[in-house]
Amino acid sequence: MSRPGRIRAQGPLMALPALAGLLVFVGVPFLYSIALSFYEVRLGSPEAPSFTGLEHYRRLFSHPDISPPFRRALLNNLTFAVVVVPLQTGLALALAVLLNRRLRGMGVLRALFFLPVVLPMALVAVLWRPFLSRGEDGIINAALSHLTPGSWEAHDWLGSATTAMASVIVLSVWQGVGFQMLIFLAGLHQIPDERYEAAMVDRAGPWQRFRHVTLPGLRTTVVFVALLTSVLAFRVFDQVYILIRGGGLNEEATHTVMYQAVTTAFDQNNTGMASAITVVFFLIVLALTLLQRGLVRTREEKS
Amino acid sequence: MAVTACWAGAGEVPRSAAGSGTGDISVWAHQGTVPENEALIGIVADFNRSQDKVRARLRLTPPADYTGTVLITEPADLPDVLEFDGPTMASLVANGKLTAITPYVSSGTVDNATDTIRAQGMAGGELYGLGMYDSGLGVYGDKSQLDAAGVDYPRGLDDAWSAEEFTDALGTLAARDDDGQVLDIRENDGLGTEWGTFGFSPVLWSAGGGLLAGDHAAGVLDTRETAAAFERFQEWKRYVHPNPDGTALQEREVALSWAGHWVYGDYAASLGSDLVVMPLPDFGNGVKTGQGSWAWGIGANTKNGTAAGAFLDYLLGDERVARMTEANTAPPGTRSALAASPLYGDGGPLRLFAEQLDRPCGDRDITPSCVAVTRPVTPGYPVITSEFSQALTKIYGGDDPRDRLSGAARAIDRSYADNDGYELP
Repeated sequence: MSRPGRIRAQGPLMALPALAGLLVFVGVPFLYSIALSFYEVRLGSPEAPSFTGLEHYRRLFSHPDISPPFRRALLNNLTFAVVVVPLQTGLALALAVLLNRRLRGMGVLRALFFLPVVLPMALVAVLWRPFLSRGEDGIINAALSHLTPGSWEAHDWLGSATTAMASVIVLSVWQGVGFQMLIFLAGLHQIPDERYEAAMVDRAGPWQRFRHVTLPGLRTTVVFVALLTSVLAFRVFDQVYILIRGGGLNEEATHTVMYQAVTTAFDQNNTGMASAITVVFFLIVLALTLLQRGLVRTREEKS
Repeated sequence: MAVTACWAGAGEVPRSAAGSGTGDISVWAHQGTVPENEALIGIVADFNRSQDKVRARLRLTPPADYTGTVLITEPADLPDVLEFDGPTMASLVANGKLTAITPYVSSGTVDNATDTIRAQGMAGGELYGLGMYDSGLGVYGDKSQLDAAGVDYPRGLDDAWSAEEFTDALGTLAARDDDGQVLDIRENDGLGTEWGTFGFSPVLWSAGGGLLAGDHAAGVLDTRETAAAFERFQEWKRYVHPNPDGTALQEREVALSWAGHWVYGDYAASLGSDLVVMPLPDFGNGVKTGQGSWAWGIGANTKNGTAAGAFLDYLLGDERVARMTEANTAPPGTRSALAASPLYGDGGPLRLFAEQLDRPCGDRDITPSCVAVTRPVTPGYPVITSEFSQALTKIYGGDDPRDRLSGAARAIDRSYADNDGYELP
């Protein structure tokens, strides 16, 4: 009897260091954020922070100058996530299926598609600027002008409210799709060959094999990739920050909650308001995550 | 860590001490261009060799991190001597990080500083910093394109273009240009950064407005005249080349470039005698230009203020100032070095910038006859520059100038109200 008891106690004991780390590096800072959001804090000032109660939250939701940009940031984040999650997941799956063949040179192609993942997002933003530049010299504008014998009028991809977010989405998907592709490749390798052989015997075509063998076999992987991409989509900051500051990106159409939190804290020296922004955003993302998880469980129960 | 810095800082304000005037002193500076770094490292080495009482230990930090590093470092951990970006000085003073330098540097050093360098270094009636160099801002032009288009361009401050004349000149140049993009405004450097404030607040000042008056932006930032000035600014966008790689004037893809002194070297190398240097256009309240740059101060917690002062005296000597400004083509920060400068002295190609600096406005009282305006010396400057440059970006993107300027003014005033007016000690 003593042995099972001892074994039972060892699990939590071994998990303790990780739990402690999680608490120290995630839990405590978050509690600090909550605390700071009730104060007017000036970074570096010898004066003590002054208590302001719910003023930061009140402003965030009802101040005529502060609330609209925050709501717009939420909308921008949501827009980005709603487009990027299905787009990047679908594209990654398509790439994985295309590159999951035993042909010579396939490894090189996989490496090429994965390459952008290695680049930091800030560098990706810098790399894409010449493509999206608003002048005739912009690579996309030049290419379109060439394809439509000179009739293409140079378009400001980053500055235009209608194409700014699309530009951010395109370069973000370009950077990240390789990682999701890799996960799908791993998932594809786990599908037993016997299922495809059985399908072939039944004379199933490529599309039918995809629908009835590949997709069911990847169900768990699709869910994981979608969840992962959702989390990454809500963290959008680097590419937005770099391009707003130095690339003429339309701020209103693209600024995200993280952008607003960072600029509020460090440009406007308002750590209290920045903390309130992150607390509210955390709660929203938490709610969305729980909702997503609930949907996934419902689907799993049905299947 | 930022949180700890916030609350740990709530205590008595540190005091500097004169010390014995001997021993080691620590020196922090931003990592600049390669020539600047070499010049500074050489100057520090020369200082250490020139005497045996004081030894300066230099630490360079990349510019993107430097200001943030100083911001989050507690006063007790700051060095004896530190460089800072001019407009951030008031914040550092309010946070107890800089001490007045007058007790430690020689009166000769202070007297020889240019008026604009002193204007940048004064806060609350005390002198907290002096710079080895200042900055210059204007419109560079390609004479061959201007002449070919028959455009009459200004030769100096007294015949500057009016905003309307500048617009007409752009139209005339554009009519002869393949793509009609004849002006560079260093858009690629980011209007939403300090370049936006430094480069384009002169439009405000020249329209009779400003970034701040007392502790309010409303009524000075968002006037009818400033809105009209920025509507004019918006009109220019169709003539502006995005200049993604910064070489539009060098390759003569544009005829005009609105830029600071730091591009002069590249422009002169490409255009030679075709390069002309002109003032910014006048929006009604006289020509105005930006001023200010990196400066040097003494840490508030120094225990060796005398030695720190000796180092600053050495740094700001003519030979060192000339060496640094030869490395970065910036206007020298001392009268004698400025007058002797091949670039900025009589007959020099950048003489205009020296003349502008010779008509200082300070950071208030911007009259029609003064030219070089110091950005507001106030601990709230980070908010001011953030709000103005954001408004500028949106105006450039097509938003209504009146709306954007009044929104920025309200945000600045709100920040001042929240922070008890950002008072200086």
